[in-house]
Amino acid sequence: MATMTYLQAISDAMREEMRADERVFVMGEDVGVFGGAFKVTDGFFDEFGANRVMDTPLAESGIIGTACGAAYAGLRPICEMQFSDFIACGFDQLINVAAKMYYRQGLPTNITVRLPSGGGFSGGPYHSQNPEAWFMHSPGLKVVAPSTAEDAKGLLISAIRDHNPVVFLEHKHLYRRVKGDVPTGTYTTPFTARTAREGTDLTIVTYGAMVHTALEATEDLDGASVEVIDLRSLVPLDTEAILASVRKTSKVLIVDEANETCAAGAQVAAVIAEHAFEDLDGPVRRVATPDVPIPFSPPLEQALLPSIDRVKEAARELLEY
Amino acid sequence: MSSSSTETGIDVVMPQMGVSVSEGTIVEWRKQVGDWVAYEEPLVDISTDKIDTEVPSPAAGRLVEILVEVGTTVDVGTVLARLATDAKPGEPHASESDAVGGTVAPPATSDAAAATGDSPAPATPDPAPKPEVAAGSAGAADTRRYSPVVSRIAAEHGVDLAQVGGTGRGGRVRKQDVLAFLQDGAEEKPEPPMHIESPYRPDPPKPKAATVAPAISTGAYDPPAAEPLSRMRRSIGEHMKRSLDTAATCTSWIEVDMSGVERERRKAGLTALAFVARAAIDALREFPLLNAWLDGDQVTVHHEVNLGIAVSLGEDGLIVPVIHGAQDLSPEGLGKRVRDLARAARAKTLTPDDVQGGTFTITNPGQYGTLMATPVINQPQVAILDLEAVVKRPVVITDAAGDDAIAIRPMCVFGLSWDHRALDGVLAAQFLAAVRDRLEAL
Repeated sequence: MATMTYLQAISDAMREEMRADERVFVMGEDVGVFGGAFKVTDGFFDEFGANRVMDTPLAESGIIGTACGAAYAGLRPICEMQFSDFIACGFDQLINVAAKMYYRQGLPTNITVRLPSGGGFSGGPYHSQNPEAWFMHSPGLKVVAPSTAEDAKGLLISAIRDHNPVVFLEHKHLYRRVKGDVPTGTYTTPFTARTAREGTDLTIVTYGAMVHTALEATEDLDGASVEVIDLRSLVPLDTEAILASVRKTSKVLIVDEANETCAAGAQVAAVIAEHAFEDLDGPVRRVATPDVPIPFSPPLEQALLPSIDRVKEAARELLEY
Repeated sequence: MSSSSTETGIDVVMPQMGVSVSEGTIVEWRKQVGDWVAYEEPLVDISTDKIDTEVPSPAAGRLVEILVEVGTTVDVGTVLARLATDAKPGEPHASESDAVGGTVAPPATSDAAAATGDSPAPATPDPAPKPEVAAGSAGAADTRRYSPVVSRIAAEHGVDLAQVGGTGRGGRVRKQDVLAFLQDGAEEKPEPPMHIESPYRPDPPKPKAATVAPAISTGAYDPPAAEPLSRMRRSIGEHMKRSLDTAATCTSWIEVDMSGVERERRKAGLTALAFVARAAIDALREFPLLNAWLDGDQVTVHHEVNLGIAVSLGEDGLIVPVIHGAQDLSPEGLGKRVRDLARAARAKTLTPDDVQGGTFTITNPGQYGTLMATPVINQPQVAILDLEAVVKRPVVITDAAGDDAIAIRPMCVFGLSWDHRALDGVLAAQFLAAVRDRLEAL
């Protein structure tokens, strides 16, 4: 067990897997000598060499397409997108090649695509997005989004070993803000939800950075007992865990950092409406980012992203309902 | 459903309420001719022997004709009333027009106006009740809305949500409100002690002195007007008098040490009655002449025990539901049947079959501390067993070495009223001794 930041845990996952399995390698823009835009692969070039830590041109389509080819040749590539926003350039390879290859040809596409995502640091419209819903809508992809250092490592190792293409959303805001005890060596974390805090009066369903927002907002909310479900995996979605919590509390708040329309939380709300209707004691509420691009302006950005105050207000309204 | 269709309406007929019931008596019409009746709304109360029941309306419509008057007894299947099912709830009709002295537009005008969609404003408010209001109890309808989980919990537990206070926004009833209501309700309204429960109370709470204030004398006593007896009281009276006129009723008593019964019933979580009933059934198998009917000079000795249990309905009267095939039941099974039947009796959901065919009856009115009674035989049976209060008393006991001692024991007097036409005192005594021996051996 070692104390690591969220970022260190991600590095550790890749390093341990690369040490344990020589089929695993990383590729991306400036991941080699420079160690990556966020220094996630710092030191990898020296340890594993240029053949397993590959710098690529600024061409996301090329990165993902090459990774698919390597996977079909029996390797286990990890692609780093410098920012999750840039995956739009690699969309065709991810959606039309990687996601569908097994259905078309029966070939597993054992690739992992790491997406540094999320806002909160004045990165503006091209460096702050939460694009997970794009991938949730494309059958054939798995979509995971850890909120803690321990889960970041375990989920990433699970992703590397998974025979399906996995989109791994690592939240930039958590990189150096979240720390925790992380087991040494390799271990896997299942693609299921985690109960971040148990409670009886209200369920908050969320994932990624919003897990911390939800926990902080409801740590002392007029004595209410608030359960926080950390989804961890969006595809597959752990509907049983969600429904079990809703059956207990009968009230639900869903928090997305992503833009509201068709976000992961919209799917969660739909599942609850369909399968837990008779357990509800109030409307299913959502707090999400409005459907606008993320502004550069720090005050404007802070006004858009779900804040502790907004989560508190929505939770209070539901508790009093 | 007890109805048959006609072209414009539906006949309401006397329903079949049990395999052995062939006729019923009209007790009260809940609706008058011309009234609007909602589907399944109680329409008429009928009575068969001791069982009263209400007949729900087989359809929504207007009651156009009552064919059987109150007090008349008719066969199952007889048409009792007719409903016009093509009527509309708001439509005025002849009787309503008469009732309000013609201030309402006559039906023809109303129909014509409705047909052209050019209805003039009525001179008076619509006198016809809306079916929703008519179906509900008196008072304002509950207009609050409830969440799915609250509705579900209420349905599962039979909670009337109108009775539940809300602590949510705007007085909304929340899940925790209905859950709290369920919990409080259970505490505040315990099931009333049953007439047939064991009267034995180790430390009985002191009954409060009656708090009825004496009437202040204001001069000459003005007696209240006499009222007719309720139908149930009349029925009980007729049965009891007929029994005393028919049978040669004698009563024998025996004292029973209930120590073993009290110990066993606590262990099993049952009332003493369950064990007494089991012992009585066993004794009846030994002395089957007591498990019999006597009709004139014809005696029927039964080989199955259909055990009647008297259940008090408070001031309303008394009813004797029957446990059919009681010989096959354990004390646990008997206890459960007694409980179920007593609840059904109080809820007035007994069927005529539930009160017929008894071959022997037990009555158990001892909860107020009375020591002895002379119960009246339930005709055409030949005996009835009565158990009164269980009271701690000093009694002389003899130990294994033959030494006598005085001990404190819960004692109970069992009385058996028996028909001297059917049997003699020695058999009654043997039966009582058999019951006692079984109970004291527990």
